[in-house]
Amino acid sequence: MNEATLSASLEDYLEAIFHIVRKKHAARPKDISKFLEVGNSSVTGALRALKARKLVNYAPYDLVTLTPTGEELARDVVRRHESLREFFIKVLAAGNELADEAACKMEHAVPADLVDRFVRFVEFIEMCPHGGPGLLEGFRNHIEKGCRPTCFDECRFESSPPTSHGHPLGAGEIATMADLKPGQHATITRVQGEGPLRRRLMDLGIITGTPITMERSAPLGDPLEILVKGTHLSLRREEAKAVRVRIDV
Amino acid sequence: MPNILSLVETNRDFAAPGSKFVTLAGNPNSGKTSLFNALTGAYQHVGNYPGVTVERKEAKRHFRDLDLRVMDLPGTYSLATNSLEERVARDVLVTEHPDVTVSVVDSSNLERNLYLTVQLLELGLPVVVALNMVDVAKSRGTVVDTAKLSALLRSPVVTTVARRAKGVEDLLEAIRERSIFPAPSEFRVDYGPDIEREIERLDGLLAMADPGIEPMARRGLAIALLEGIASERTEDFGRGILDAAGDAVDRIERLHGDPMDILIAERRHGAAMGLARQTVTTSAERRRDLTDLIDRVLVNRVLGLPIFLGTMYAVFFFTFSVADAPMGWIESAFGRIGNLVGGIWPAGSDSLLRSLIVDGVIGGVGGVLVFLPNIVLLFLAISLLEDSGYMARAAFVMDRVMKSVGLHGKSFIPMLLGFGCSIPAIMATRTIESRRARLTTMLVIPLMSCSARLPIYALIIPAFFATQWRASVLWIMYLIGVALAMVSAWLLRKTLFAGGDLPFLMELPPYRLPTMRSVMQHMAERSWLYVRKAGTIILGISIVMWALATFPRLDPETAAAGEPTVADASAEAGNDLAARQLAHSLVGRIGHAMEPVIAPMGFDWRIGTALVGAFAAKEVFVAQLGIVYSVESPEDTGAAHLREQLQADYTPLVGFCIMLFALIASPCMATVAVIRRESGSWGWAAFQFFGLTVLAWIVTILVFQIGTLLNLGT
Repeated sequence: MNEATLSASLEDYLEAIFHIVRKKHAARPKDISKFLEVGNSSVTGALRALKARKLVNYAPYDLVTLTPTGEELARDVVRRHESLREFFIKVLAAGNELADEAACKMEHAVPADLVDRFVRFVEFIEMCPHGGPGLLEGFRNHIEKGCRPTCFDECRFESSPPTSHGHPLGAGEIATMADLKPGQHATITRVQGEGPLRRRLMDLGIITGTPITMERSAPLGDPLEILVKGTHLSLRREEAKAVRVRIDV
Repeated sequence: MPNILSLVETNRDFAAPGSKFVTLAGNPNSGKTSLFNALTGAYQHVGNYPGVTVERKEAKRHFRDLDLRVMDLPGTYSLATNSLEERVARDVLVTEHPDVTVSVVDSSNLERNLYLTVQLLELGLPVVVALNMVDVAKSRGTVVDTAKLSALLRSPVVTTVARRAKGVEDLLEAIRERSIFPAPSEFRVDYGPDIEREIERLDGLLAMADPGIEPMARRGLAIALLEGIASERTEDFGRGILDAAGDAVDRIERLHGDPMDILIAERRHGAAMGLARQTVTTSAERRRDLTDLIDRVLVNRVLGLPIFLGTMYAVFFFTFSVADAPMGWIESAFGRIGNLVGGIWPAGSDSLLRSLIVDGVIGGVGGVLVFLPNIVLLFLAISLLEDSGYMARAAFVMDRVMKSVGLHGKSFIPMLLGFGCSIPAIMATRTIESRRARLTTMLVIPLMSCSARLPIYALIIPAFFATQWRASVLWIMYLIGVALAMVSAWLLRKTLFAGGDLPFLMELPPYRLPTMRSVMQHMAERSWLYVRKAGTIILGISIVMWALATFPRLDPETAAAGEPTVADASAEAGNDLAARQLAHSLVGRIGHAMEPVIAPMGFDWRIGTALVGAFAAKEVFVAQLGIVYSVESPEDTGAAHLREQLQADYTPLVGFCIMLFALIASPCMATVAVIRRESGSWGWAAFQFFGLTVLAWIVTILVFQIGTLLNLGT
């Protein structure tokens, strides 16, 4: 993000607008002041500042919506918040309120890369529940070599780094399913897309944390064939773009 | 455990007689239909669910003291109401209260299949799990611990191999026991503390609204409310509960940052995965199986297309060339029957009844049955392609092409078959799941030059075009049809059937050797459906067409007034009489009346009359034109004579316009009947009929007028 210099309080505003818009499609300044428990005048000031950065659509006395850039940035803040919160609750066994409060404060300060590691640690713990002395080493391998978190033992003992040179996207990188090359393995990190498509994807087992393999594309380049949970599925590239994955090997 | 109870209660077998309603639910490709066939045998009732084109299959089975009514639900991956099939399946389960539901599960793919089983249990229904295809699973080194799965799901689990009718008795026994002790399973998915809290809250509200609901079903209802699945059930409970559900969804989504349906699906998948992990042992290494190897060739980047085209050629050849001979037999058989029946009346009689029976009824029945060889062979080919698993690959290979006009990969095969005959082609659209894509495909299929157009082209082209141009003109006719079909499909998808479609997302099932039994059954089912449903409509229209060509009749004096000029040309006199009769009939009058409308295309009343007759079947155009011109047997020996007449009367431009109009305009009555049958409404049939006719009229006028202006072929 180029607007990385956004102040903590502006990030809070962005986050608040995001939550309100998600619920009501557009936010009124009144909603925002209520949400953040601040005065109307501070809201107006913040909205001007956000508008100047082209993050919100706003005119006095009008409804507030996020611009595409604003929404992306807001999603990032929300993701950081939720990730930290999840880490506190799941790993540190903190209570909901404490976790929320701490996440609120830390979300602005912790670098994005570190937040990503928090997320992956939670994932790793969930998928490799055996623990033991090799746990942290396994996690290091998981982060550095991009071993699949499902293959804990492999992660622990594998010594040679995966040879993914020459591929435009290497292990550990985040991509969409449509970016995968035939033969590449990946783990689903997020399923986006609209109602019926998302549901259909989910019903066929395409959900977060599921490992997939790109098999091939059709002779004319589209659709794609993937292997998920022992089933061969075909889907079009545009549909595959709705699925975010992390490349494993 | 029903098993233990049943030991105690065996003596009370007689206490649970009567009829039970059993439904079969399962994923596509789980062998559900095979199991249905194995359970019930060949006597099935195939119909449609009211208002939709999803098939409803039912059959009866007597087992010990029970009369079972068994229903095969449409194959679905879940019970969310995304697609028509899912909605239908859920409606039957929720509103028709089956006594027992068999969850058909592909053992070789347990995890994904259990996802549906979990949902069935969640509805609070008595479930029996049929672990199907255990042989395939075993060959892959997968063994399922049946007892453990049964204990975890708290429902009976039976292993079956439906294709070989193995385990059917056990399954029936389990169904019987389950129906005697119908308490729902206590199995529940743990949705985590946050969602469980909301489920409990809604559960409490539902219990207050209707204390009569069984607790497991109530929980299922609460979950459905959170998933946002609207059913008539949930509407009953009023705004209060719906609002509470909406608030609950808001709370959870804010808390977790993911949509509710995703959260629920993730938990369900988690449960299915857990069940599979605890019960499946895989002994063999997971290796590339046969399907992978076959796919390396069949959908290969280089070979994929040629193999597909070759397969399509084979299907085409099989459906139309092999059917040629039996179609000829059927035609000549009906010709002979006609002669035989006609012989009852004295020679030269012009009894109306004779004409009705010979030309109307016998001709009409023949007109229905003549398509039967096509349809039987087509569905034989389609069953083979579907059961083997290649059909999904065909859609996979062709999707890129069809996508460009907004259609689905599965639309390709029906459109290709349209070159042979629209009737089987339209019936083949049944493989397309999305209704919008299916209707679009059906509506444009008649634009593919079917084989009945060929006699028209064969008559006209040699009459007006020099030898070296003939092949090109024929090719152009076919190309115009394809281009118009593509453009129309694209337009329909942009307007009438815009957006809102299901994703392409489709399973590529493992290759399997089709079984004789299921292929034959499928074939018989489809053919009978055609005869029964479309056949009656076709017969009705043929009698109407007969009447139009017969009435009003020339009175004998007028007929006699046409004086034969040459004494020995009695045959010619007969032809002349037929010509005048046709001109006098309603068909002829319609032809005359149409003249102002068809004149801008360069047509006169003769062509108009022949076109009206062509509604019965496209190739009738040639015969009718022959009658109008008093030419004997225009199909063969008389063709040259008829061509001379045409050359004298029309320019090559008009000839081209005749072909163009015959290509685009009003599909034949059999097509109209089949569209009515397959779309479920006369509306679409009428829309297609008039839409194509208007399109033909506009295109042909443009061609004729511009051609005339430019002095082309005049």
